[in-house]
This record gives sequence, structure tokens and C-alpha cells, in this order.
Amino acid sequence: MLLDPGMDLTLRPMKYPHFFDRFKDAIKNTWTVEEVDLHSDLADLARLTPAEQHLVSRLVAFFATGDTIVANNLVLNLYQHVNSPEGRLYLSRQLFEEAVHVQFYLNLLDTYVPDLDERAAAFAAVDNIPSIARKAEFCFRWIDSVFELRELRTKDDRRAFLLNLICFAACIEGLFFYGAFAYVYFLRSRGLLHGLASGTNWVFRDESMHMAFAFDVVDTVRQEEPDLFDDSMRQQVRDMLTEAVECEVQFAADLLEQGVSGMSPGDMREYLQHVADRRLAALGIEPVYGSKNPFAFMELQDVQELSNFFERRVSAYQVGVSGNVSFDDDF
Amino acid sequence: MTTSQRATLPEQRRHAMRVRKRNGDLEPVDVNKIVRAVELWVADLDEVDPLRVATRTISGLYDGATSAELDKLSIQTAAELIGEEPQYSRLAARLLAAFVDEEVRGQGVASFSESIRYAHTLGLIGDETATFVARNAGELDDAVDPRGDLRFEYFGLRTVADRYLLRHPQSRLVVETPQFWLLRVACGLSRTAAEAAGFYRLMSSLAYLPSSPTLFNSGTRHTQMSSCFLVDSPRDELDSIYERYHQVAKLSKFSGGIGISWSRVRGRGALIRGTNGRSNGIVPFLKTLDAGVAAVNQGGRRKGAACVYLEPWHPDVEEFLELRDNTGEESRRTHNLNLANWIPDEFMRRVEADGDWSLIDPSDAPELPDLYGAEFDAAYRNAEKKAVKTVKARDLYGRMMRTLAQTGNGWMTFKDRSNALSNQTGEPGNVIHLSNLCTEILEVNSDDETAVCNLGSINLGAHTTSEGVDWEKLRETVRTAVTFLDRVIDINYYPSQQAAASNPRWRPVGLGLMGLQDAFFTLRLPFDSAEARDLSTRVQEEIFLTAMEASATLAEQFGAHPAYPETRAAKGELHPFLWGAQPAQVARWSALRERIRESGLRNSLLVAIAPTATIASIAGCYECIEPQVSNLFKRETMSGEFLQINTYLVRELKARNLWTPEIREQIKRAEGSVQGIAELPAAVRELFRTAWELPQRALIDLAAARAPYIDQSQSLNLFLSAPTINKVSSMYLYAWKAGLKTSYYLRSRPATRIQQATVSVIPALTAADVCSLENPESCEACQ
Repeated sequence: MLLDPGMDLTLRPMKYPHFFDRFKDAIKNTWTVEEVDLHSDLADLARLTPAEQHLVSRLVAFFATGDTIVANNLVLNLYQHVNSPEGRLYLSRQLFEEAVHVQFYLNLLDTYVPDLDERAAAFAAVDNIPSIARKAEFCFRWIDSVFELRELRTKDDRRAFLLNLICFAACIEGLFFYGAFAYVYFLRSRGLLHGLASGTNWVFRDESMHMAFAFDVVDTVRQEEPDLFDDSMRQQVRDMLTEAVECEVQFAADLLEQGVSGMSPGDMREYLQHVADRRLAALGIEPVYGSKNPFAFMELQDVQELSNFFERRVSAYQVGVSGNVSFDDDF
Repeated sequence: MTTSQRATLPEQRRHAMRVRKRNGDLEPVDVNKIVRAVELWVADLDEVDPLRVATRTISGLYDGATSAELDKLSIQTAAELIGEEPQYSRLAARLLAAFVDEEVRGQGVASFSESIRYAHTLGLIGDETATFVARNAGELDDAVDPRGDLRFEYFGLRTVADRYLLRHPQSRLVVETPQFWLLRVACGLSRTAAEAAGFYRLMSSLAYLPSSPTLFNSGTRHTQMSSCFLVDSPRDELDSIYERYHQVAKLSKFSGGIGISWSRVRGRGALIRGTNGRSNGIVPFLKTLDAGVAAVNQGGRRKGAACVYLEPWHPDVEEFLELRDNTGEESRRTHNLNLANWIPDEFMRRVEADGDWSLIDPSDAPELPDLYGAEFDAAYRNAEKKAVKTVKARDLYGRMMRTLAQTGNGWMTFKDRSNALSNQTGEPGNVIHLSNLCTEILEVNSDDETAVCNLGSINLGAHTTSEGVDWEKLRETVRTAVTFLDRVIDINYYPSQQAAASNPRWRPVGLGLMGLQDAFFTLRLPFDSAEARDLSTRVQEEIFLTAMEASATLAEQFGAHPAYPETRAAKGELHPFLWGAQPAQVARWSALRERIRESGLRNSLLVAIAPTATIASIAGCYECIEPQVSNLFKRETMSGEFLQINTYLVRELKARNLWTPEIREQIKRAEGSVQGIAELPAAVRELFRTAWELPQRALIDLAAARAPYIDQSQSLNLFLSAPTINKVSSMYLYAWKAGLKTSYYLRSRPATRIQQATVSVIPALTAADVCSLENPESCEACQ
């Protein structure tokens, strides 16, 4: 079984080929930080209202450490327990992607925050910005929850592991990051900070995959060991998401405190609740809130993009196209 | 979400909400006031709910917002409802027009002539146009159509407001309304007020629009109105290379798109006699070009853009094809340059025959860029003994295909066909060395002549009803368009002396087409049907023939263009007949031939189908000759993101009572495809296929069928959602054999996508349901 302790090294016959497919798909989406042009953002930053500037500075401070936390949990907790070589291939790839995200946000802060003291303060946000510290505390608590576990021997060990996995997929990547993406896309829908948005688009694409992989692991474990998912476990997941929503709502209150036209804290709360319900639905758990998405600009993220190539780099291409020269294929 | 649900939510917030008026006073937000503001504009929009816009606007507001913020938010809010009901696009456009109008009037501008006078004092308008308008103020002010703005969709008007309207240099407020802008463009190109009013009416009806540089700059102090510049390769020496950087920068500054060849510059490892060193090849020079292009900001409107052309015998061609890769050494990557292959037929023949291909240094065979056809073949074969490297032709072709599939770049353009079928290559020594940034312009150039082209596009959708195409209206539009495209040549400001040397001699223009897909939808013709192909060909013949007639008329008035004796037309060879086509309008072609024999032509080239990305948005139609990309998609531009929905489909669904939240979600989930909507009859689904769902062979066949009536070329994109080398290589070989002169982007889609946030969740598939080709034994579904 997937969570059995050990170090399975056998790729043939492959037990979990869907993990391997995810690994291959991820490789096709390779992007590099150099491809993101942040140049035009600088002019936009100067145009923002003070309230919007506050929003952006808080947001980048969150980005400064967010992906690093995820990467740490991946290495310290997830990798050792997902005992499948193809699953670990995916996790290795995910780790690379987290590193690229860290580099992207490093680049972003270096560009957005020219003052060295302010920059250092942004990177220390988990210590000195209360609304971010609260989110970090939530993450660290869940990292610590399984940190001592070397092997998943008992049912309780495995439940603890699954809760950690679900926390990082559904709450951190699936809610904290999704909340952050909403601010970015809000700004983009107003024609602002395209550099940030285009990098975020690629980050978002990667994060969607990470979450899908984690849910795939949860599903696989659930099939192998259906009894792990009992009522108490389900309730724990709901509680965890409820707490995550509260963390993110207080972050929103901080970001939006000066008044941003088009994005009220009330709408943001509804949006976060809606996202939390979706995570629960994906896990087959009853929703908590029954809220609807109030942000029409998020619907724009769900449809195909078409960029005018004069204006921005098109993100719709793949790497690793295969095949040989041929003259009679159908097209 | 319904109005009632929405209205109950922020009850307490709404009472607390106040708005800061322009005089600084705070006043409580009044829903009814917003409702009344919206109601002003909805007389013909029966599906719009003003209360819904008002309540949603207030929900996004914060206490103490300014009234300008409130106005902007109501525009944005209306725009966000487009996905549910396309009429909100019109509403948002009208609210925006009212906002712009207020901004202009707030500066004391009440009429067109006042806006010109004001902008002239600000240093924005040229003296000639200012004088012209002052002299004809009354007549021109009367020409403004007060209802003109009602024709805009939101995306179009937003684009106009953000980028086309002239702004106060300090306050950045707009100083002209959309209608004043179009009339200003017309005045910049007109000799009489009546002429200006006529041209303005055509543009204001959105049936025709000139290209962006004309829309930006006509009537201003820098009247650079051309879209395209084709710069010959630098000579194989340092001074010439640096001269080209300078020239490209100057051309870019005034909104020109650049095509530049690099085929004459020696490759890596070639000897440099002056220093007895070895060349580093073309890549480091292209890296400098890349940085130069990015540095030039076209008046704040968009970044400079250039495409580099290289012939495939150049020794650095393999590195050239990697310039857009996103991995590898950054110093050998150019993320801002577009790339195109300028391919002789000999290469394609060797690909087909699986032969060898020699890479030859231009310093060993400097004549190759100036030859085409049989002469090129002979010179190339002769130079092969000096080859620096020999590769398999198919391997190199495969690399080209890989670049296309992975970056969309590395466009396939065909040198021999482009030259053999050009009106400009009637005399030896006149050679086309490359195409332009969008692969629709094919004009001769040289070291001292940079080719220039002015463009404009007819909106075919605006000439089509369910009865068919209005041919007389189409001819009238073509005549007006040619007159004003030709006019640009004399009024234009040329940013480089090489451009100024070329354009008056050849006087080429590029009249294009947009909204072909609109016409097909209106007439219910599937894109790949024989009827669609016939219509597209007939339309193109009509446009080309009428444009030639108009140019002959201009020649009768003003004389043939100076290089006319060097053209094929001077020998009686007209483009469709070079192509071997059988025109439908035989008598008109014969009559035209007689007129040309008498007086020649005013323009060496007349027709080119440009991509029209921005002006199609303004006109609210589909781009050029392209099929729709999706029934539901978004556009990302500098102005923001815009949901685009197929209004023809919406009408169809409404008529069938199928425009429901469920169907909308289904379309969204299928990324804008309707193929899975079982409630729709097969014929309707066939009509509304997307570019991804059409056989690409049909796109090539349509392009080849209309090509005899395009004396330059067409920006033909091809679409493969999951390209493989096999498919791509088959497709481009077919395109070459079909006789196309050029092709443009290969569009594809990302391998995976962002998780959709607003469609309902389908619980993850369980492992056993997932079909895996990697491990078929584990998957029962494949057994």
C-alpha cells in the first residue's frame, strides 16, 4: 500500500501509473523566471492608489515565504511517506517547481521593493506582520503535527499524515494561495501588474497540479484503506478548513483595510468560503458554507486565454513535443 | 446569482456606505441614483437589469470611495455580467462612453473643433490638421454622429479609451471622445470637409478601419501611419549591423512592426580578415537586437516588436531555432524577437526526398540572399562544395517543426513562391528578401530601401446580412479604403531615410479583411464547407479586383507609381493569372487590363491580410480570416481581461431555450466547445466548431483558394491543441504544396491547465478509472 513504510524502488511493473502521467505532464509545463517581464509593473506600481499599494506590499510579503514553507513540508513530511517511486518522481518535480516559484517571488520582491530595509522587512513578514504571522503559525502547527513520525505504522499515524497532506493541498496551496491569486487577478482585470499576473498564471497552473496530485494521493489511500476516512477524520478536515478560512479572512481584512474599489472584505470572505467548499467537495465531504463566488473576474480564469502577441508572452505552449517527421499524418 | 439573493447580503454595509463627491462632500450611496444612471442607456437592451448592476456595484464599494471610483466600478460591474448576457457589453460600453464624454467636457471641450484646437495648443495635433479643422469647423462639427458610440462593444471601446484617444501630456485626461478621434483620423488624411465626413462615417460605422499606426497618429504632429517595415539584412560588416540597430529603433519608436533579415551576416567560426579572428556568429548580434527592441516603447502603447528572418542554409540556423527556448544559456536566448524561416523550394524538395542539406557561410556565397527559383538552385548547388556542415534535410525540418510546436515561433515562409508571384519582381535585381512581423507583407527591399506598408481592413461582417454579402457596399468600401491608404503614402512621416526612399517609388498598400467568421456565422456556413470556401474566394476576388480598379483610377488622375515600369503588371501579367487562377469576373478583369495598359497602376501592391488583432476588437468582429478560437474565451491586453462570448451562438441557444446556467457551465467546462451539448442538433454543433475542432487542412485550402486574389500574402495561423512532430511536419508540407507564400503562428494549448475556480467540482476520478497509456496492462478500459 502507498503509505506502507519503506523505500520502494521498483518502477516496473508500475503500480501507480497515474502518478507517472502527472510527472510527465508537469514537465511539459516547464517555465523559467527569466521569461516573466516585470518591467511594465514598475510604472503600474506608481499609478496605484495608496490603498492598492498597501494591498500589493502585503501580498508580496506573503509570497516571499509562502512557497518556501510548502517546499519544506514536502521534503520533511510528504516525500518520506509516499512510498512509490513514481509518486516520488512527481514530488521531486513539484519540489523543483516550488523552487522556481521561490525564485520568481524573490525576483518580484527585488524588483518591486528597491529599498533594502523594506525588502528585508518583507522577507521577515512571518515575524513582524501579524496577519501573515497568523497564517504562518497555522502552517507550522501542521508541519509539526507529523514531523516526529518516521514511519506510518498505525491507523492514527496514517490519519495524521493524511491531515497534513490535505492541509497543504486544500488549505495552503488550495486556499491561501488561491486567495492570493484572487488579488492578483483582480488587479489584472483592471489592467494592472501584468508581469505579476503572467508569472502568477504559471504559478497557478503549477499549484493546480500540485493540489490535484495531492488529492489523487488521498483518493488512492482512501481506496486502499477505506476505514481511514471516518466521521472524526471528516470533521477534522472541516474544522481545519474553517480555521484556514478565518486565517485568510483576517489577512483580507488587513489587505483591504484602506478600501479598494471593487474588492470588499465581505465579497472576499464569500469567495474564500466558496473555495473552501470546493475543496471539501473534491474530497467528497459535505460543504460548510454554501457560499457562491462573488468575483466575476475569477470566471475569467476559467476560460481559454488569447493574448495579442504584441502585448504579452503567450503561455499556451508545451515543451517536450514528441514525434518524427512524417508527411501523411492527419491534421 | 439572482438579484434577490444579492440584495439581501450586504444590508447593513449598504446603509453605512458613503461616496465622496467631486466637491469633496460625503453623501450616502443611493441605489436608485445608480439605477437611473444605468436606465439612460438600456432602451434597446431588453435583457439588462439596472438594479442588478447597481446592487452589485455597491457590494464591491468601500465607504468613502470617490464618485469617479463609483462610476468606474459600475462600468466594470456591467462588464462582468457579459458571460451571462452579452447585452451587458453594450451597456458597459455606453457607461464608459459617458464617462469619457464627461472627462472631455470637464476640460471645457464641447465640440470636435474645440477638441482639435485644445489638443493643438497642447502640442498633440499637427499644424496642418489644426488649420484644416479651423477652416471647416462648422461642417465638421455637424458631421459628428451623436449616436456613433452606441455601436461599440465594451472591449472595443475600452481599448479605444485606454490607447487610442489623445491624452493631456500632464493630467493624462483624454482630450477627445471616440467620435472626435475617428473624425480627427479622417481629417488628417482629407483634402475637403466632405471627404473627411465621408471617411469618418465609414469608420464610425465600423465597416472599415485603418491599422493602428494610422489610428494613433493621423492628424498628430508625428504622422507615422505605416504598420510594417521590411529591413534588408545588414551587410556582413560591423558598421552595417549597428546601422540596422539604429534604424530598427527609429522605426519602432513610431509604432512600426519590423521584419528584418539576417541572412547576409556570417556564421559562427567564419574568418574575420580584419583581425584574423573567428566570428561568434549571429546569435550575440541578435541578442543585442532583442534588447534594443525591448527598450523602445511605442509611445507607451506597446513594446516594440520585430521578427528576424533567416534562410535555412545559414550555418547558424540550428542555434537560431533555439533562440526562443525557455531553457539553456540565457545569453543565447531572445525572448522579444519573433523568428521566421525564409525557405527556398530546394530545401523542401530535399526534405521530401530525404536528401542532405548543406549549410553554407554567407561570406562564401554572398549572392544567395539575392537569388530565387532556378537561379538560386544553381548557385546553391554550386556553393555546396564550400559547405561548412552537412545535415539531413529532414533533421533540420524536424527541428523547425519542434520550434513551431514548442514556441509557436519559427514561421514557415516560402522564398521562391513569394518572389515568383509578386508584382514587384518584374525586373532582375528586385528581390523580396523577407516578409514582415506578421507574414502578410511581401515587398522588395535592399540595403538602401526599407519596404513600408500601410494597412487597413474591411469588416466583412458589416457587409453581410442573412441575405448574403452586399456587393455594392463592399465595392464602395474598397474604393474609399484604397483612396485613403494611398493618401497615407504622401502624408506619412518616414522615420528612416531608407523607408522614405522606398515607399514613394512603389506606393504599396495592404487592404485586408476581417470578420470572415462573422459572415460565415451570419450565413450559417461551416468554416470547412465548400460554400464557405467559394464565398471567401469570391469576396477576395471582388476586393482585389475593385482595389485594382481604384488604383487604376488613381493612376489616371495622378500617374502610375514611379517604379511601375519595373513591375509585372507593366508587362500585362496580373497576379491571379500568374497564379493560374480562373477568375469569376472575366469581363471586368479584361477591362481592367486595358485600363492598366493605358495608364498603369498607382500602387504596386494592393492587398494583404493582416492579423487585425486590435482593430477587430474595436470593430467587434472576429479577426481577419480566422475561425473563432472558442465560443467562450478571454482576451488579455494592456487594458485588462475581457470575456469574449460568441453572440451568434448565444442567439441560437436563446432561440432554443438553451441559454441556461447549466449549458453555460457546460460550455465553460469544455473550454468553449459546444460539441458535447447533446441538446444541439449536429448541424448547429458543426457550425459552431472552434479553430481547435476544425480540420486544419480546410484552413489551408481556404487560404490557397483565395490566394490568387492577394498580391501580398495573408497572416495564416494554424491550430493544433496537442501538436506532434508528425502532425506538424505533415501540415506544413501540405501548406507548401498548396502554394501558400507564407504561414504564421502555430497555436497550441498548454499541457495542463489551471484548475477551474467557478465551475462545479467533479470529485476526482479514482485510480482505476484513469486510463494510462504508460501502463496499459493496469487499465481494463483499454483491453
